[in-house]
Amino acid sequence: MNGNRRRPTNSIQVNVLARWIVAVFFVGLAGLFFVYLKNQQHAVGDQARLVEAAISEIEAKNDALKARITAMTSRGALQRRLDEGYLRLEPIRDTAIARVTPPLPAEPDGVLRTASRDPDGRFGAGAPLRAVSR
Amino acid sequence: MKGTGIRIGIICGLLALIFTLFAWRLIDLQVAQHDYFSLIAAEKHSIRIVIPAHRGRILDRNGEELAVNIPVRTVTADGTHIRNPETLAALAAPYLDMPVKELAEKLTTQRQYVVIRKEVSEEKAQDLMRAMDKAGLKGLYLEEGAIRSYPNSEMLCHVLGFVDYSGHGIDGIEKSFDKELSGQDGYRMIEHDRKGREIVVYRGQEQSATDGSDIRLTIDMGLQAIVEKEVDDAYKEYHPESASAILADPNTGEILAMACRPNFDPNHFNDAKPEQMRNRIISDMYEPGSTFKIVVTSAAFNEGIVDENTRIFCENGHFSYCGKVIKDHHGFGDLTIPEILMKSSNVGAAKISLRMGDQSYYDYVRAYGFGEKTGIPLQGEISGLVNPPHRWDKLTKTRMAFGQSIAVTPIQMVMAMSAIANGGKLMKPRLVLSEGEGSAVESVPPVRQVVSKKAANYIATALQRVVSSQGTAPLAHIDGYTVAGKTGTAQKIGAHGGYLEGRYIVSFDGFFPADAPRLAGLVIVNDAKVGSEANYGGLVAAPVFSRIGGKAARYLDIQPEAAIAMAQSGNADTASSTAKIR
Repeated sequence: MNGNRRRPTNSIQVNVLARWIVAVFFVGLAGLFFVYLKNQQHAVGDQARLVEAAISEIEAKNDALKARITAMTSRGALQRRLDEGYLRLEPIRDTAIARVTPPLPAEPDGVLRTASRDPDGRFGAGAPLRAVSR
Repeated sequence: MKGTGIRIGIICGLLALIFTLFAWRLIDLQVAQHDYFSLIAAEKHSIRIVIPAHRGRILDRNGEELAVNIPVRTVTADGTHIRNPETLAALAAPYLDMPVKELAEKLTTQRQYVVIRKEVSEEKAQDLMRAMDKAGLKGLYLEEGAIRSYPNSEMLCHVLGFVDYSGHGIDGIEKSFDKELSGQDGYRMIEHDRKGREIVVYRGQEQSATDGSDIRLTIDMGLQAIVEKEVDDAYKEYHPESASAILADPNTGEILAMACRPNFDPNHFNDAKPEQMRNRIISDMYEPGSTFKIVVTSAAFNEGIVDENTRIFCENGHFSYCGKVIKDHHGFGDLTIPEILMKSSNVGAAKISLRMGDQSYYDYVRAYGFGEKTGIPLQGEISGLVNPPHRWDKLTKTRMAFGQSIAVTPIQMVMAMSAIANGGKLMKPRLVLSEGEGSAVESVPPVRQVVSKKAANYIATALQRVVSSQGTAPLAHIDGYTVAGKTGTAQKIGAHGGYLEGRYIVSFDGFFPADAPRLAGLVIVNDAKVGSEANYGGLVAAPVFSRIGGKAARYLDIQPEAAIAMAQSGNADTASSTAKIR
């Protein structure tokens, strides 16, 4: 009569099971995340390829346009248009030239300046300042 | 039991053997033959694409573009990707400017790489790709490329040169600096998917392209345009065989402008004839005539054989020497050295040469750079012809004194005149200012001191009188500036030797402002069709020099030396004296 009346059963160890479920879940999640990242990597790679192609196309177009502008503004082209009468050279009247810098010779720095001829030295360094009336 | 144990042992042994064989094969594949199979795998999916380097530009000294690249595309086809060649041909033909039938024939192939059309413009190529995407067609692909363009067409063609179909220089600066301009192509290892698209994630080793350096020339296109215009006008007016002009900075040897006629368009060099493509300033030699008198006079003065007080009797225009007669256009009596230059007396120059030793005279001729290449960085330069003294006959020295029995190139002649202008220093002609971004613009030392500063200045002063109403070149006068220079009128030599009657190469070689020279220049007109009585350096070449110099002075804003009023009164003298010029 003193015997154990509990039936002999295989008990489920919930803790262990839960640990395994959680571990498998995280491993699975990591796997999915890895696949997701890999896909993202490919998608971004494709985007990068498309952007590179677009940049390359724009650069090429830009270069083509620059070459066209250079051709259209070249001396030969401008001379041709001048000869054809599309352009006209208008002499600049001496009174329309404003000399804002003192005349400097071209030699020292290699920069060639136009409209800086000032034989009287009126605007050279040390020239007196004068009031300008309009 | 015993039998069972044996069977189990045999099975286990077999299994072990099988696994051993598998393991061995696995090691063989993965380790022993790893490289071989990696290569096969890489060949299937990996390719090496070339990243083309852009060819450098050629610029003038102020950064104006003289040679540029225009991006174009090469359209290629992969026959294995084309499902319906006729449909694709019908769509693509208008973009490629090709007949549909011809294109369809090209597209009906199983080859993986067929070049369909080269040099398709960027716009058309991109439009074609968009149209194909829209129609869901594939099989045509684009490759990067560029064509070389010269925006100024014929201008400066002999200096710039041109490139061949592969983009490598054939002539001019394009050839001389081909290595610097070309740069270095790069590459990228990529893997692609079944559709041929790059898998960016597996992008491999990459070496970026190194673009070619820009070459900045010493040429100033403002001056070049002036020179081109005047040479062109002279060519149209005198109908010569050729006409050339060059402007240089006598102090640095920098070539500022250089033009020849006939010329050609480097954008269409296939249409040009050989005589159009020759840069006559470096590859033609000619007898310089009286311009060469600067050599004998400066050499004799430098040696102390003649001085400021020396007077040479010019035999009244007829000097018999070794059975031959040397003539002047007018009979002159006693002349000083400046007068010999001013009147361009052949007798006077010949008699000065006779006072000099053969070897000494020859050494001066060579010291001025005649008989050797100047080293200008252009293809096809020749050294001219200067015979050594042991090959001279008794007349050679006297002939050389006034520019016969010697052959020079125009570039040598302008460098010699520059030496007179800059105080006796022979400069090396310089055509390239810098290579690439940020490279230093270095000054170039003189090649050698040919004559003393005193001798050079003496001759320079004498040469000013050539451009006076008493000299041979009053028409070389430039308003507001003192010009020094020398005319040259040399009879042409025939193809079989001997001089050609009535045919001349006329020239004017000079510099200005005479006291502080900024520009040295040479104008040569070869066989002008103007008649013998007008075919002189002073009448044909000198006015061209004057027009070039006048415009160049305004362009460079060179401070005038003389008042305009004085210059104008000088003009009146010039006009009255024109009739007297011989």
